[in-house]
Amino acid sequence: VIAVVTFPGSNDDRDAVAAFESLGVEAVLVWHADEQLPDVRAVVLPGGFSYGDYLRCGAIARFAPVMRAVKSFAADGGLVLGICNGFQVLCEAGLLPGALRPNASLSFVCRDVGLVVERADTPFTARCATHQRLVIPVKHGEGCYIPPDGLPPEQVVLRYAPGENPNGAVDDIAGVVSESGNVMGLMPHPEHAVDPLIGSTDGALLLGSLVDAVRSHAEHLRQLGALADSRS
Amino acid sequence: VRVGRIVDIELEAKDADAARTEVGRMCEQLLANPLIESFEIELHE
Repeated sequence: VIAVVTFPGSNDDRDAVAAFESLGVEAVLVWHADEQLPDVRAVVLPGGFSYGDYLRCGAIARFAPVMRAVKSFAADGGLVLGICNGFQVLCEAGLLPGALRPNASLSFVCRDVGLVVERADTPFTARCATHQRLVIPVKHGEGCYIPPDGLPPEQVVLRYAPGENPNGAVDDIAGVVSESGNVMGLMPHPEHAVDPLIGSTDGALLLGSLVDAVRSHAEHLRQLGALADSRS
Repeated sequence: VRVGRIVDIELEAKDADAARTEVGRMCEQLLANPLIESFEIELHE
């Protein structure tokens, strides 16, 4: 089971749930005021405009009661994926390095962009090949990623394809993982790219990777359980 | 220099140093993102 957090102002939470269900995994919505997470294997912070994005995008959401639970879930090695506003929340919460500033164009951007997979050995990209090119839509006003000084290049998982950077992000960075590799944030919206009817299905490669990771974890637990049963 | 925002805060503190410390803490934790923004504090009694 995967949890998707709903903040006041989230608007891609249901799309994320629908996308995971289309990939054959159960997803549940978790309210921002909940202090605990249900028993889940992964948490997704969806896109939208949490708390109106006042002050800075994600700056207020990081104080939501559920974020304390998300932080301890991540600290225990749980898989956390932040999409767009969720990426901004994770940066503000200190779970991911860097920050997101207003687009270089100062305009909202909403279109398909080409991406290049830099790392295919993460739980979020395992269904992709290294240097594979994906097409996934972006829609944001503040997606200009600014890495901290000395961000290790191995933490960069996705880049915008050459010439396709929609927001002025430094080094064309579109998605990063935490140092420990179990938290990822990206500006493009994989949950909007899972159905051929509305264009690309490349988003399913990213979300499907997370589904695989959740399933293999469940299988791992089942084997441990079977082992314990056979011993007793 | 780009001024992103000016925030007026009224608060009671036992002296100017205490007020500056408290507002500095607010800036670091919420009002500014130190990674991409800097801030200055001006006190008026």
